[in-house]
Amino acid sequence: MTDSALDAGGDQAAQVAGPHQASGSSASAPGAMPGALAVQAVDMTKRFPGVVANDHVSFEAAEGEVHALLGENGAGKTTLCNLLMGLYRPDEGKLSISGRAVRFHSPKDAQDAGIFMVHQHLRLVDSMTVAENVVLGWSKPRRLRFSPRKVEKAVAEAAERFQMPVDPKARIWQLSLGERQRVEILKALYRGAKILILDEPTTVLTPQEAEQLFSSVRDMAADGRTVIFISHKLPEVLAVADRVTILRQGRSITTVPTAGTDAEHLAGLMVGREVSLEATAKGSEEPGPVVLELAGVSARGDLGTEALKTVTFDVRAGEILGIAGVAGNGQRELAEVITGLRGTTAGEIRIGGTRLPMGDPRAAIDLGIAYVPEDRMGTGISPNLSIAENLMLKSYRGKTMRSGPVLSNRKANANAREMIKRFDVRAPGPRTLVRQLSGGNIQKVLLARELSSEPRVVVAASPTRGLDVGATQYVRQVLVETAQHGVAVLMVSEDLDEIFELSDRIAVFYNGKVVGIVPAAGANRQQIGLMMAGAA
Amino acid sequence: MNSNIVIAVLVSAIGFGTPLVLAGLGELLAERSGVLNLGVEGMMLMGAVTAFFVSQKTHGPTALVLLLAVLASMVAGSAMALIHAVLSITIRVNQIVSGLAVTIFAGIIGLSSYLGQVWNIGGVAGHHQFNGIDLFGLQNLPIVGPIIFSEDAFVYASWVLVLAVLYYLYRTRPGLYLRAVGENPAAADAMGINVTAYRYVHTLIGGALAGLGGAYFTLALAPIWTDGLTAGFGWIAIALVIFAFWRPDLLVLGAYLFGIFSALGPTLETRGITVLPSEFYSALPFLMTVIALAAASTSWANRRVGTPASLGIPYTREEG
Amino acid sequence: MTGPLHIERRLDTPKWLKVAVPFASILLAAIIVAILLAATGHNPFSTYHQMYSASVTADGALTSTFVYATPMLFTGLCAAFAFRMRTWNIGGEGQLYMGAVGASAVGLVLGDWPRPLLIIAMVIGGALAGMLWACIPALLRAYLRTNEILTSLMLNYVAGFFMYYLIYDSSSYWRDLTTPGASVFPTGKTLVANASWPGITIGTFTLPMGFILGVGLAVGLLVLIRSTRYGFEMRVMGDSPQAANYSGIRTKRKILSVMAISGGVAGIAGSSQIGDFGHVLDPRGLQQAQYGYTGIVVAALALYNPLAVVLVSLLIGGLTSAGFALEGPSFPTGLVGTMEGIILFTVLGGEILARYRIGLRHRAVTPASAGANFGTEVAP
Repeated sequence: MTDSALDAGGDQAAQVAGPHQASGSSASAPGAMPGALAVQAVDMTKRFPGVVANDHVSFEAAEGEVHALLGENGAGKTTLCNLLMGLYRPDEGKLSISGRAVRFHSPKDAQDAGIFMVHQHLRLVDSMTVAENVVLGWSKPRRLRFSPRKVEKAVAEAAERFQMPVDPKARIWQLSLGERQRVEILKALYRGAKILILDEPTTVLTPQEAEQLFSSVRDMAADGRTVIFISHKLPEVLAVADRVTILRQGRSITTVPTAGTDAEHLAGLMVGREVSLEATAKGSEEPGPVVLELAGVSARGDLGTEALKTVTFDVRAGEILGIAGVAGNGQRELAEVITGLRGTTAGEIRIGGTRLPMGDPRAAIDLGIAYVPEDRMGTGISPNLSIAENLMLKSYRGKTMRSGPVLSNRKANANAREMIKRFDVRAPGPRTLVRQLSGGNIQKVLLARELSSEPRVVVAASPTRGLDVGATQYVRQVLVETAQHGVAVLMVSEDLDEIFELSDRIAVFYNGKVVGIVPAAGANRQQIGLMMAGAA
Repeated sequence: MNSNIVIAVLVSAIGFGTPLVLAGLGELLAERSGVLNLGVEGMMLMGAVTAFFVSQKTHGPTALVLLLAVLASMVAGSAMALIHAVLSITIRVNQIVSGLAVTIFAGIIGLSSYLGQVWNIGGVAGHHQFNGIDLFGLQNLPIVGPIIFSEDAFVYASWVLVLAVLYYLYRTRPGLYLRAVGENPAAADAMGINVTAYRYVHTLIGGALAGLGGAYFTLALAPIWTDGLTAGFGWIAIALVIFAFWRPDLLVLGAYLFGIFSALGPTLETRGITVLPSEFYSALPFLMTVIALAAASTSWANRRVGTPASLGIPYTREEG
Repeated sequence: MTGPLHIERRLDTPKWLKVAVPFASILLAAIIVAILLAATGHNPFSTYHQMYSASVTADGALTSTFVYATPMLFTGLCAAFAFRMRTWNIGGEGQLYMGAVGASAVGLVLGDWPRPLLIIAMVIGGALAGMLWACIPALLRAYLRTNEILTSLMLNYVAGFFMYYLIYDSSSYWRDLTTPGASVFPTGKTLVANASWPGITIGTFTLPMGFILGVGLAVGLLVLIRSTRYGFEMRVMGDSPQAANYSGIRTKRKILSVMAISGGVAGIAGSSQIGDFGHVLDPRGLQQAQYGYTGIVVAALALYNPLAVVLVSLLIGGLTSAGFALEGPSFPTGLVGTMEGIILFTVLGGEILARYRIGLRHRAVTPASAGANFGTEVAP
């Protein structure tokens, strides 16, 4: 199948490719790529009210090529993919697949043309089996009947053929994130994907799982497929891609082959100025006394299974303890237990020696625990309330926001104006609804509320997820400063780079247990990766 | 004597249970697509009144008249469901409020009552009704004969329908896609399944089945029209879906269990057995519903079995 | 979304639109009802004219409008208050029944108390009974997460049958067993004259005490929601229960207390039915009136604003009053509920549409709202 595509596609693509090259609108640098042109995007433009998300973006990728789209968060990568997938329609520009101009009206059209995407947030139905997910929406040959047994067999065969080992009868919620991603890829291959778009695929993987993914990606390319690899991480782009198209502020800057370039150069192109790849400066002061102590803490997860198993560690004043691990290994439950949102089944938690009552968020707040939750919009913020109201979400009980028995708008607004200034929140004013802010500004509102309460412990879960580079830097800076002021910081992150950059010590979680705690200085990345996978 | 009462209760329970089976299956399909429909009571009343109207005002062989009446009830039910679908799926009005609005619009002091009066069909006995069929000539068998083999065509149709829905949900592709739409519309959408279409279609089917459940009252159970004659059965049907954990097989069991609760009072009363006040028996199905809902939520809170994850949440592609 | 229309959220709804949309919605409803009337052989213009006169200008019409508006004001507040926090108390109907049972018990037992005290006791008795009845679904909701919509609704039926039992099928304290006629046609005991609530009479028009009490409650609830810590907690809970839990709000207690207040308000509707109007527990009359369910209509039309509930209760009260005055072949009873439903559809739809911009699908493609793109980088 893939061989014939290679043969037949060749001439056709060459014919169409010509004129566009001549028009000079393509930003690509013609490299000596193996196959014919698979994807050609020319001057794709997509506007949203007040912003041009894609501004004349052009790139092309050949059959058998791994083509990376590199850019910061907010550079327009995802918008571009949604255009390729038919989720959005371009305001301008042309898209050709295998040399044929196409206009997609829905993801179905794109899939019919052989384009599939593995989203960053996987699109799988958790309660269904792998096999059911693989055949979802796909009926070839066209028939009404659905036989679980036959489908499972077909999917098992496909899994073998594409070397994507996974149990077709397993339900998605039983799988690790790496396995779920494999199901998504299998889903695409099963449907005869010729072009596969992977959106930030390594975010949730251990370094070893990522290696495995890269090798699969190379295999798929060797089979003649085109893989479009979206990332903001330089090393992995260099490791896996043949060519890179760099996006910045909605524009395609240039396309370069990965051979003969390096991380510094790419980073410069990505950010638009010379950059040195240095980490946020960490304080090197000696940590103070123990503030947060966990002794043999166990807790159940949402499904009633044991999610934390006799977890014991402590965090000192002025220290950042990074919690590393693949998502779903008990980190969320850990954060919730410390902040009182989840009850425990055993063990105890002490704050400065005082025992924390279990499952009582108000007691945790009163003992000086601040929480920057992973699920900002769902948990940390009341999205349809104003900035001022969100900022008093934890202080409204006290006297500062009242005049007599009545809450004072004036005091709330004054407080909000001060916070907006101090934490550099970009917003029209204190009455603006939080829902209307950008991700970075929402996180600033959250940090403003949590840190202004002068906490003793800060629990931050994936504090920079989904933020652009500027906001990420800001949040990291604030966390480091907070620790320097003598606060005990517990930071949960799936991003190993972030863990290494900010932590003083690293605790690795696997299957609800602390596998090990190591000082960040001199920690071995590979070793941590193996611990995250439960192999060490 | 005692076993006679038991059989009498069971026979009557099938009667009371049938509208619950029909309306419950309809609600189950709608909820499986992610649409909570609180308009069932109103849809049942609309089905009941239109079915009775057609059966009274149409002339012809009984079978044909009843068929037309049944079809009319389904049209009436889905017309109400269409209002709910437009409001909740397209305009994204809160599904709870929209469903309640439909029940008020069509309900006891609403359109069904208005039509009953305009059509002038209130208070008179029906000309046509579904009668028991001696299935396979087995109606004289002891115990199972009167309970299973002498029901009317409506009841047999409801049993076929249960099997059809079971097959549809678990053994057909549209059924698989329906479950996916209710669980994770973004995933379904990404795979080219038309979420909006699935929701519309199943909400309308749900309305048609609710209408059918209403028609059972005026065409079989008690062929007469009075305002609000479904007497809360629509609400019990909604509750059934919850404690059947969104499964058609359990729903049928639940429906007949509630048929028993409903049948107990009338059966005992006609035999002159009055241990407890009749109001207690009348209230029994509703009390039991509260208890069953509470019981279902104890295990449900721990395991959350079956609730379609997107139930009650409008789908917009951008948020996926 | 694959429909022909696409709908996107406005960041700001212009002021004029907020005012214009409800009026346009009601106008649209009037047109739809007119079409329905014409289709069923009635003259819409004369019907509307009759309705206006029967609810406002005719002799005693305005008084009658207030008679119907008063219970709707309470049940409307009951629903509006609970719905504010997305606690769906559909049990106003049953809570009203229990309030009537409670208030009539108080009125019968304490008949020899001084009038002001007796009236206060009746208000409290009804409120407590309504509260207790509302606590059943509230407790189940708070501690087992049982769907309160269905449980509160089921209990309406149970309360109805309970009321019937008291008057028709038992020798209960509420039932009149002394007069000879009462053994054939069971009725409740009539309360002493002292237990009837005073109204304010101006000429032929009487303003019931209950309505004044209801307006007072509406103002009180508005203040509670808008400017107290209690109301702040309600707003957080209504918007995001997880955020409420996270910020240390005692969410279970909150559900209990909000449902209790809501049920209490509906209970006072029962008190007012006994004290202002009926002076006797009349199960059939209370059940036929469906004030509890109508309260949901009132609350939804008022967009859950307590002060707006006052105005809307008068509108729906007038509609209902006209319905009863005109009841007959040319104005069937069901028309009232039908009209309520149609007004609800247009107002609900209009309210949402005012917050969104609508366009045809092929012209533009939906962008993400500012909040929705968070974390997924849909659009920068």
